[in-house]
Amino acid sequence: MVARVLSAGEQTALAHLPPNVRLADRLLREKGLPSRRNEQWKWSDLRAAFDENVQFAVVPDIDEARTDAAAARGDFIAMLAAAFGQTETVKVAAGETIVSIDRIEAGQFTPRALEIELAPGAAMTRIVIQPAQAGLALDSVRVHVGAGGAYRQFILAEGAKLARIETHVDVAGEGVEIALGGVYLAGAARHVDLTSVINHRIGGGTTRQLIKGAARKGGRGVFQGRIEVARGAQKTDARQYHHGLLLEEGAEIYAKPELEIYADDVQCAHGNTAGALDEAALFYMRARGIPEAAARAMLTEAFLLEAVPDYLPEDVRAEVTSRIKAWLGGAP
Amino acid sequence: MLRIDDLHVAVGGAEIIRGLTLDVPAGEVHAIMGPNGAGKSTLAYALAGRDGYEPRGGKATLEGADLFAMAPEERAAKGLFLSFQYPLEIPGVPTLTFLRTALNAQHKARAEAEISSPDFLKQVRAKAAALKIDPEMLKRPLNVGFSGGEKKRMEVLQMAVLEPRFAILDETDSGLDIDALRVVADGVNALRGPERGMLVITHYQRLLDYIKPDRVHVLAGGRIAESGGPDLALMLEREGYDKYLKAA
Repeated sequence: MVARVLSAGEQTALAHLPPNVRLADRLLREKGLPSRRNEQWKWSDLRAAFDENVQFAVVPDIDEARTDAAAARGDFIAMLAAAFGQTETVKVAAGETIVSIDRIEAGQFTPRALEIELAPGAAMTRIVIQPAQAGLALDSVRVHVGAGGAYRQFILAEGAKLARIETHVDVAGEGVEIALGGVYLAGAARHVDLTSVINHRIGGGTTRQLIKGAARKGGRGVFQGRIEVARGAQKTDARQYHHGLLLEEGAEIYAKPELEIYADDVQCAHGNTAGALDEAALFYMRARGIPEAAARAMLTEAFLLEAVPDYLPEDVRAEVTSRIKAWLGGAP
Repeated sequence: MLRIDDLHVAVGGAEIIRGLTLDVPAGEVHAIMGPNGAGKSTLAYALAGRDGYEPRGGKATLEGADLFAMAPEERAAKGLFLSFQYPLEIPGVPTLTFLRTALNAQHKARAEAEISSPDFLKQVRAKAAALKIDPEMLKRPLNVGFSGGEKKRMEVLQMAVLEPRFAILDETDSGLDIDALRVVADGVNALRGPERGMLVITHYQRLLDYIKPDRVHVLAGGRIAESGGPDLALMLEREGYDKYLKAA
């Protein structure tokens, strides 16, 4: 067998990998980091973005078993998180309700993988804030929701050289409620990818997903959202919406919404749009005396804020709003 | 006040306005009537500055200022107001926020002081009440989910709040039932004054029963085919536009 030529980033990663994580080692050598050839990464070329300049953090004790387990199922973010970043498991007991705020800060390469287990009747709100940064930002969560449980998540992502935030939800009981919201802001030279897979294994659950984003010249937004409804998961009610706004020529938004339904008594809907601001609405505002730049910012802000849910704590909502305003104000 | 001289406007390559000349002095209300496709809305858009409605020739001035040298927002700050035939929905922007932003932007452009919030609210509420607009509607995103009649009332409310020097009303009667028409017309009439001019664009004479014009012009074939007093509108109502269509 002819050996694959390793990229500089792959060689750097392998040099940092301890010898015991054989599956991860093999995955990196044989398959390599995911690139545009991998269907799940076709718009987010990690191999190209992951170069020899990646600044690894010092991880005191690499979780070898976890690294190999993630490698075995081809979950790159979880594998990189176990080897070079952070992994964490959160368990929420029956009847308990928790709120967590995760920040993906700039700095050394710190991919993160989170496992969340919600016992029956447990509820969790997770907020992810990813400020704009120059490096790589990788984050993945796997949520298992028990009967009658509720998982709500809101992501504000400003992108990075490559930012990918994955959400995997396993609906593992009856009557589960899932709400996934997100706003992405892809400025110049920023790449931001929100990918999610929601698997309704058991019926009677609801999913509400609303993702909105905006991209400027040289910025790229990616939305990949799959909702699976298993055979027998009757009375599932799932709605998925993604709307992207291309603010300038040279902005890019890619979207792949997918519904995979194997049950027959379900309600599922999805909607997906990407386009420019409504020129007629812009003219209307200008005809009332609002200057063009202000009119554009107002329409864009209003568009994005529709995806910011009411349930966010007051201070988080204020931060999200001011980040959106700052991003719009920083426009050329 | 508003002077239009030998105006030519092409839309998508086709010349729609072909040598239109019109003069509306301060204090007067003129009506422009005409068959569908005569160029009534084209004239309104060209004067307000919509993309794709740039003049090919001729001039238009408001109180001596060249309209075509100004961006749409500058024309608005100069005092030009267009009431849209089809008002746009502005999702996510509450009506009050929209109105305050527009008013303050105009004040700023004219180097006037910003209006204080309490004064603004008081003024808008009073003007909305006169137009029988439910105050709750002012909190909703502008025009989103509003009925045709509600949108037209909102146009007149915006005009009342912005207090333009010159207003163009494009088919303000379309979509209105008779009660709403009366309310809207009362709102427009309340804004008539010696300093303000208006151009009322309409297909039907009905609106002119409520907003009595000083002069009536027939727009056909891209130019003013005939001008006269209010009686001209009644004649058009009886006889239709056929003779102008044939002439054009």
